[in-house]
Formats: sequence, C-alpha cells, structure tokens
Amino acid sequence: MKKVILIFGILSLLIFIKPVLGFSANSTNTTTSTTVSKTETSVDESFVSEAFDGIKHFYEFTGFANAQSGNLIMILVGIIFIYLGIKFDYEPLLLIPIGIGVIIGNIPFVPGNQTGIYETGSVLNYLYFGVVKGIYPPLIFLGIGAMTDFSSLIANPKLMLLGAAAQIGVFATFLGALYLGFNLPEAGAIGIIGGADGPTAIFLSSKLANGINVLADGTTVKNLIGPIAIAAYSYMALVPVIQPPVMKLLISKKERLIRMKPPRAVSQKEKMIFPIVALLLTTFISPSALPLLGMLFFGNLLKESGRTERLAETARTKLIDIITILLGVTVGASTQADIFITKDSMMIFGLGAISFVIATAGGLLFAKFMNLFLKGDDKINPLIGAAGVSAVPDSARVVHAEGLKADPHNYLLMHAMAPNVAGVIGSAIAAGIILSFLG
Amino acid sequence: MTHILLYTDTLSEGYIILITGLLIVFAGLLLLTVFFKYGLPIMLYIYKIITKGRDKKVKEISRKVNTDFTGEIAAAISVAIHLYLDEQHDDENAILTIKQARKLYSPWSSKIYGAYRNRL
Repeated sequence: MKKVILIFGILSLLIFIKPVLGFSANSTNTTTSTTVSKTETSVDESFVSEAFDGIKHFYEFTGFANAQSGNLIMILVGIIFIYLGIKFDYEPLLLIPIGIGVIIGNIPFVPGNQTGIYETGSVLNYLYFGVVKGIYPPLIFLGIGAMTDFSSLIANPKLMLLGAAAQIGVFATFLGALYLGFNLPEAGAIGIIGGADGPTAIFLSSKLANGINVLADGTTVKNLIGPIAIAAYSYMALVPVIQPPVMKLLISKKERLIRMKPPRAVSQKEKMIFPIVALLLTTFISPSALPLLGMLFFGNLLKESGRTERLAETARTKLIDIITILLGVTVGASTQADIFITKDSMMIFGLGAISFVIATAGGLLFAKFMNLFLKGDDKINPLIGAAGVSAVPDSARVVHAEGLKADPHNYLLMHAMAPNVAGVIGSAIAAGIILSFLG
Repeated sequence: MTHILLYTDTLSEGYIILITGLLIVFAGLLLLTVFFKYGLPIMLYIYKIITKGRDKKVKEISRKVNTDFTGEIAAAISVAIHLYLDEQHDDENAILTIKQARKLYSPWSSKIYGAYRNRL
C-alpha cells in the first residue's frame, strides 16, 4: 500500500512540475505566454460545456431516454418467463433463454448503430440468421432423434394414428387464422402452433411468414416468426396447465382406469430399420418436411445403429444444447416491442391457446374412437390420445400424471410416449404439407 | 402462382388444404402403422432366410420373438442390476486421521492476500 502511495505521489509531482518547467522555459516571451493563457481559459469553458454536451449526448443514447411502454412491458414479460421457468420448472431450458432473450431484445437503443436484432450487421442479427433461414430447427431435430426411443411405437404401431389425430389442431387453427383475416401463408404458419412443436413452428414460419416473401397480389407477408415461436414455446411450457381440464371434460372416470398391456420387447434390428423405413415413407409423402424428418431419423439412426455412439452422444447433448441456447435467446430477442406488440401477435396468442385445446381434444376423441374397434386386452387408455400433440415429453408426463390420479398403479408413461413421438413425426409431415401447398 | 387469391377464395382454399392435409397426415402415419404391423415381420423373415437359409413359414415367425419377455420384466431386471450396482462400494479405510500439514510460505497463502480477499 505504501508503495502504491509513493508511486502515485511521484507521478503527481512529475505532472505538476511539468507545466511549471514549461512555463518557466517560455517566460522569456511574455506576449506568447498571455495568449497561451487566454486560449487555455477558452478551452476550459468549452470543456465544461462540451462535457455537459457529452453527458447529454450520452443520455440520449441510454435506455432511460429511449424507453417506451412497450419495451417495459416486454421486459416484464421476460422476467415473468424466467420466474415461471425457475419457480414452477415449466420447461426451464426454454423459458430461461427465451426470457433473457426477451429482456435483451427490449433494451431500448438508438437505431442505426447495429445493435438491434433486426438491424443488418449486428451480432444478434447474425445469430438470428439461423432462425430466419430455418437452420436451427433441423439441428434441434437431429438431437431429438438421437434422444428418442421409438421402441414403444414399434411395439404398438397403431398408436401412431393418435399422433395424426392431434394434427387436427394444426388445420383447425389454420382455418381459424384464415377467418381472422390472415392470408394463406401466414395462416399456415400460425396453424402449426397446434402441432405443439417449437422447432417445426419456427421452421415453417421462417419459410412462410418471414416478412420477405411476396404474395401473388403484390403484398409482402408479415414477419410472424417471433410471435409464433413465442406462442408455440410458451404454450408448450403450459401443457401441464392446458391439457388436464380437457382430459377431465372428455374422458370418463371408467375410461381413465383402463390398463394397457405392457409393450413387447423390441429387437435391435427393428429399431435400426425404423428410422430408415420411416424416413423413406414420410419424406416420399411429404418431401417439404425433408430437413426436419431427415435430421430426426438421421439422429435416431445414429442412436440405434450402435456404431456411432459418439456422434449420437454429441447430437443429443452438446449440439442440441448449443442450438437451444442460440435459438432461445434469438427467438426471445426477436420480440422487440415495436415489432412484436401488435394486434396480430395478440390474435396469434389467442389462436395458439385454442389450437392446443383442439389438438388435445382431437387426440383424446380419436383414442375413444379407436377403442370402439379394439377388444379386451388391446383397448387403449384414451388419456394417451392427449400425448399426440408433440410437446415431447411434457404431454406424455401429463398423461402419466393424470392416469396416476385415477389409478395409482396405472403407469401410462411408456404408452404415452408412442403417440408423443408419433406427434413429432405427424406435425413435421403436416408442416411439410402446408409448405408444399403454400410455399 | 399466377392465380390471384381473393378473400373468399382463400377460405375455400383453406378448406381444401384442411381436408387434404389431414388426409395426407393420416395416410402417412397409417402407412407407417401398416408397415410396422405387417411389412416388418415379413422383412425380418426374409432376412432370416437369407442369413440362415432355414425354411420356415411366415406364420411361424412371429414379430413377437418372446411374448413372455415384456417390458415389465426388462424393467424388473434393470432395477435389480441398478440396485446391485448401487450397493457396491469400494472398501475404504475406516480409520480417519488428520495429518498436520507443515505450513510453508507461499504467496497463495500469504496473509496479505488473505486479508484483501474479501475486498477484491
């Protein structure tokens, strides 16, 4: 400490001595010295005012000067997202990155300095590129494929139809959006919220409602990626809240008690054949979904082949984590208030909630319908129909929890996983169909 | 895209997409269902013929390789293995002693750094 004081003392002494020495050197010419002192005073004055100007200028650049009510509302929304993620454990891996992204995207700034996510050249804009061009969703699907065990689906293939039934939510929302006055591509992108699949929703909206495409009548489609992604992800996080009332409404107590026989063991060979055959069949039907389904089944083959464990491990851990981070933050940041808070966004949120309800109801009712044709042991518990909305694995967990409430020894999780993963495939196919119709 | 989309046309086109879309999704997954229900056993049967050359009727080869071996049994076995592995401990010396460490001066443990640690 003493040394520090000593060094400071010597330095300050030197600084003080220097002008003194300089002054003494110039003292022989008095006229010049006076002019020098004059300019010094003028510099002094302008320095003060300039400093004030600088501070004022700086203030104009701060968030305090540029804040608008929209920004503050969205920041509050971001904080609520983070709170929900931490406190209630609602998909924290999504809500926390999105929440912080919402805050980042709504810090008020002066446009034109390459700060905001919508300004070309800004760092956030480069990261957002992966969302706009639909790069992140297929990579997420690769990870999901490497995580997912399709064996319960292979053991009981008829449950695949439940995944298709829940896609009625997609098409019903699509129709609802058309009635509300959205044009076809926008409605298609909004409809996919009913697929309850975040990556698929982002993929489709980045292709259809990206603010770049021009319609036949000359109007440009609106950029709805932000609202659609936020709606899809927030309702996915709210699956434990949305689904149980619908289940209670549609499924009787007696039906909830149905016990399903345990799925048979599936051989490794079947598991290996599944991704290849499913890839061929689904993408031949709906080639537009190739980026999603191709990556999904590629990831699954990495997992099941037994030879590429390293690649599967990376895909399901590090890679998907990296992409989730980038996707979450940029999707959150894309909710910049001046672009996000519009009537359209509110309508999208409304439609999203309805679409989840319709999708759940579609799955449940179709499961009841299937039960009409099934006998005895083969009967399915209609609750698992609700897992047909993808939202892996949350909706399967909700089904399991509801099943346990009716009968504490009825474990539905394995059975519910089958329509759950079928829902992922179904919503990707649906996205492909909408894309091929409207893209 | 040469046709002009009018508002009324939009809705009717919406209905067309709704119906065809749903049909295609169902058809797609139905195809998968049928394949895994019937196609796969045949494929496995053919594979078996190719590799082993044994003559067997399709009926005899069931997809259900072992119906007794259900998921529940697999779960029970894996729980047993898990519990067994969980119980294993490596034998550790039960005698715990605290050795007096000889203090050597090091800048890392120096008093002056320690005193300012809270401040930094």
